[in-house]
Amino acid sequence: MHQHSTEAKPAGPDVGFIFNLAPLSLLVITPAWRITRASARFLADWRVSADDCVGRSLLSFVESQLRPPRPSRIVQLTASIDDAISTREERTTIAINTKHGVSWKARVIPIFNGDELLSIVLEWHEGPPVHVDNDELSKPGFSTDEAFRILVQAVKDYAIFLLDTKGHVATWNTGAQMLKGYKRDDIIGKHFSIFYGKEDLDIGKPQMELEICMREGRIEDEGWRYRRDGSRFWANVVITAVYKDGVHVGFGKVTRDLTERKSAESRLIAAYEESEKLKSDFLANMSHEIRTPMHGMLSACTLLLDTELSARQRDIVNIMDESGKVLLQVINDILDYSKLASGNFTINSDIVGITSIVTSVVRSVQATLPPSVHFELFLAPELPRSVQGDPLRFRQILQNIVGNAAKFTDKGSIRVRAAVQSEDEISCTILTEVTDTGIGVPEEASANLFTPFTQFDATTTKQYKGTGLGLSIAKSLAELMGGRIGYRPNPERQGSIFWFTARFIKIKRLGQMQDWKRTPPVRQDSESPSADEIDALQTELKMVSAIKNLLVVEDNVINQKVILGLLRSIGLKNVDLASNGVEAVRMVRRKPAAYDIVLMDISMPVMDGNAATKEIRSAGILIPIVAMTAYALKGDRERCLEHGMNDYIPKPVNKNRLIKVLGKWLLRMTDYRKITEERFAEMRRPRPATVKVATPGLEAKQFLFEVANGLGAPSTEARQMTPPNEMPRHPPPPSPTSPLPAAEEVDSAAAAPGPSSPNPEFSLRLPSGKAAAAKMWETNHAANQPGKASDQNITSAEANQSASADAPNKQDNAPEETTQTGHSGQSVGMQHPQLSHRPLQHTEVNETDKSSPPVDAAETRAIPPQNKTRCEELISSEAGVAAADSNVEAKTAEPEG
Amino acid sequence: MHPTEDRDSQEVDEMSDFGDHVDDAIFGQILEMDESEEERDFSEPLVFNFFQQALETFERMKEALDNSDLEGLSSLGHFLKGSSATLGFNKIRDSCQVIQQYGHKLTVDGTDELDEKVCLEKIADALKKVKVDTETLNKKMEIFFKREKGDEKEE
Repeated sequence: MHQHSTEAKPAGPDVGFIFNLAPLSLLVITPAWRITRASARFLADWRVSADDCVGRSLLSFVESQLRPPRPSRIVQLTASIDDAISTREERTTIAINTKHGVSWKARVIPIFNGDELLSIVLEWHEGPPVHVDNDELSKPGFSTDEAFRILVQAVKDYAIFLLDTKGHVATWNTGAQMLKGYKRDDIIGKHFSIFYGKEDLDIGKPQMELEICMREGRIEDEGWRYRRDGSRFWANVVITAVYKDGVHVGFGKVTRDLTERKSAESRLIAAYEESEKLKSDFLANMSHEIRTPMHGMLSACTLLLDTELSARQRDIVNIMDESGKVLLQVINDILDYSKLASGNFTINSDIVGITSIVTSVVRSVQATLPPSVHFELFLAPELPRSVQGDPLRFRQILQNIVGNAAKFTDKGSIRVRAAVQSEDEISCTILTEVTDTGIGVPEEASANLFTPFTQFDATTTKQYKGTGLGLSIAKSLAELMGGRIGYRPNPERQGSIFWFTARFIKIKRLGQMQDWKRTPPVRQDSESPSADEIDALQTELKMVSAIKNLLVVEDNVINQKVILGLLRSIGLKNVDLASNGVEAVRMVRRKPAAYDIVLMDISMPVMDGNAATKEIRSAGILIPIVAMTAYALKGDRERCLEHGMNDYIPKPVNKNRLIKVLGKWLLRMTDYRKITEERFAEMRRPRPATVKVATPGLEAKQFLFEVANGLGAPSTEARQMTPPNEMPRHPPPPSPTSPLPAAEEVDSAAAAPGPSSPNPEFSLRLPSGKAAAAKMWETNHAANQPGKASDQNITSAEANQSASADAPNKQDNAPEETTQTGHSGQSVGMQHPQLSHRPLQHTEVNETDKSSPPVDAAETRAIPPQNKTRCEELISSEAGVAAADSNVEAKTAEPEG
Repeated sequence: MHPTEDRDSQEVDEMSDFGDHVDDAIFGQILEMDESEEERDFSEPLVFNFFQQALETFERMKEALDNSDLEGLSSLGHFLKGSSATLGFNKIRDSCQVIQQYGHKLTVDGTDELDEKVCLEKIADALKKVKVDTETLNKKMEIFFKREKGDEKEE
């Protein structure tokens, strides 16, 4: 150590001089890397002065000389020096570019005195001239540019390419080639609109996209794009405007193939829709399937309560009855709730009489209250008489909260107050408030009052029954009606106040009222069928659609198409068309048992619907015929029914109405063919009145009378008891005593029984020679006018019908009635008591009939001469038959009254 | 319970352009019968068949009017009333009702109008009006169906 220092001392100035003049580029730095000396050669090579470097930190000096500035160079330089120091060996650095286009490498020589680092000498040598790019490539890995280029080139799943400012393709990658099918050389320079379909081109979509892209910087689109071979794929496309130094140079376009995802999506949607549909079908079915037996059970309970019971039995039945009612309410609640939850609940539009609904709800609840509870009703004077909205739902909410008040109030009062909360020109909001002095609602429970399935009485005793759905249903209903519902404690004393609002449309003019009354005959039915009733019917119709055949008689092609469309949408596809009455009669007569129902337009060329119906009836075919009449004016309906039709639908045909009518005639009524068979089965059994003289003719005649009652009599019982019959197809069985008929007579008389006839032995046999028959008919007719008599029955039945037609729902609400159809034979008499109350109409109709005595072939031939007297007797004793059946009548007529 | 009911209300909104020309509920029912709302291949041909039928009927009405054939006019009026009512085209329906009534020598209120000349004049007026209404509606329908499809494209 000392040796070194002593040796160095005398050589000091010389060494300095030598150092300076040495033909080497030398830098001497301190252990702290500060530059202490620079040789003259260094200063010349680096074109710096001593002041530029001496005293400065090496790194900051080198950094200032670097061109281009690369921090990585400094790092590498540092590493080399560190390395040299730690190994005490000389090291060579990498080349460093200086601003003068020259690169320098340094030999790093660390100088130690023993373990002490005295200084470091850097000896610089000129390196090769360095080009930046080459320099980059010489290193492992890629530059960013290169990496991106390769990345873009290699990506196969995305088409990534550049467009020039006009939209011409400028670059092309593997993904683009694979996705679009174009080779690089084919596509470069082509306009990108080549990928679009005709529809998109027609609306100028490619250009539009570029414009939007210029405006917003970016556009994303999903749609069909086309490959070179013309096939298409569902694409997600992102176009980005590309700028270089602030100048727009083109667009970057990235396209992805989403065909797979798209089809997965549509599969999902389809599956979802399907499950939704299943769910709503299920709901509709459930409501029908559950409610029907429940109603049956409850009715049976009520009947049972009417019988003599011991006190204990009565208690038990009462429990059954009460539990049944609660269960029904629970079921209704759940069904309502699930419909509300699935958003399938619809609010109908009808006239709402606020005051009458409030009054009737109060009255019904009042009846259940103990005398200790006092009811008060306040109706604000400014309440509108009638508004437009959903009366049923309004009632349901009110019933629920008034019912709750009654349930939870043992003594004190319940106050119901209805007033207009606010109104504007077209609508008004009605506030209804129910205040009770009942048990009230504990504060902590009030937050959850309207949450489904919660009851604040969660105690084990469960004093109050219910699903806990009532209020949440009420809440949803109020919201559906544009209102709200709420609770607050009764400020005066113990108890609660529940209130709700509902928005209604004002009925401004009287005319609007009348419009309501006139246009929607459907709405006129005070209890128009609820939506789920219709749904249930439609489902049922769909199920039987394959075996139901319809004949639509309509002359106007537009109407034909619409009615066919409606039927198709209901699921009924077996529909034949006739475009006028003559055609219809021909089709029905040719195949008398082929159709299940005829939908008949009234006004048609050649032969109108009324005449056609008459013809069909006079051929003895009792298929249900439903008139379709435009402008259902008062009296239209009656007229249709007078002409022998069974029902009518106003035009334009409303789908729900159509479903209801079809449901009635295709589902609820016993098939007219079956009835005919049953009748005959009945007829063939020994019956004192007829069997003695049982000849086919007589039976046929008597049959006609019964039929006549059923004809055109769609009133409650009559329609079900004696549904349309079909005479010629099932004439009486041949009696062994009857003579052989003339062949051609059989044909015409029987109106050619269908080949499908299940009872082939039933073919109409005629009595002796046809001349005799004809002659006999004349006398018969002149003397007794049996044809007229039967017509008379028709019309009298109609009279009854029109009387009871005012209450069409009665029948529909009583499905169990259909089971009575079995007793077809006896029910005939039912119409008679009513008939006797209407003598006026009776004769009136008679007169009109005289002008055109009905002479129908089937009837004529059905009366054999030898039975003339029996016929007369029968006709005159019609009333007697009725009397004989009075037992039946008395019982069945009861519910009607 | 039924998807159609929800759709109905949407369609009523779309149809608000028709004003008092069209009964939304009835026409909505027609639109519901389309299997696809994109194609509208039930309602569209139906509506344009109707316009064709209307034009033909107007021709025949003109002929009947020239021959002072009141009965013919009445039945033609009834005929077109039927299809226009079915589609819910109220204005056309109402004019047809006028033609039918005067063809029966009745006023719109149903009282007698025995002067045939008056009847023919009233019918001529109604025919003129119904032609204009039909043309207006035809245009509206063209726009309606085009827009329906246009919407489809933009989506």
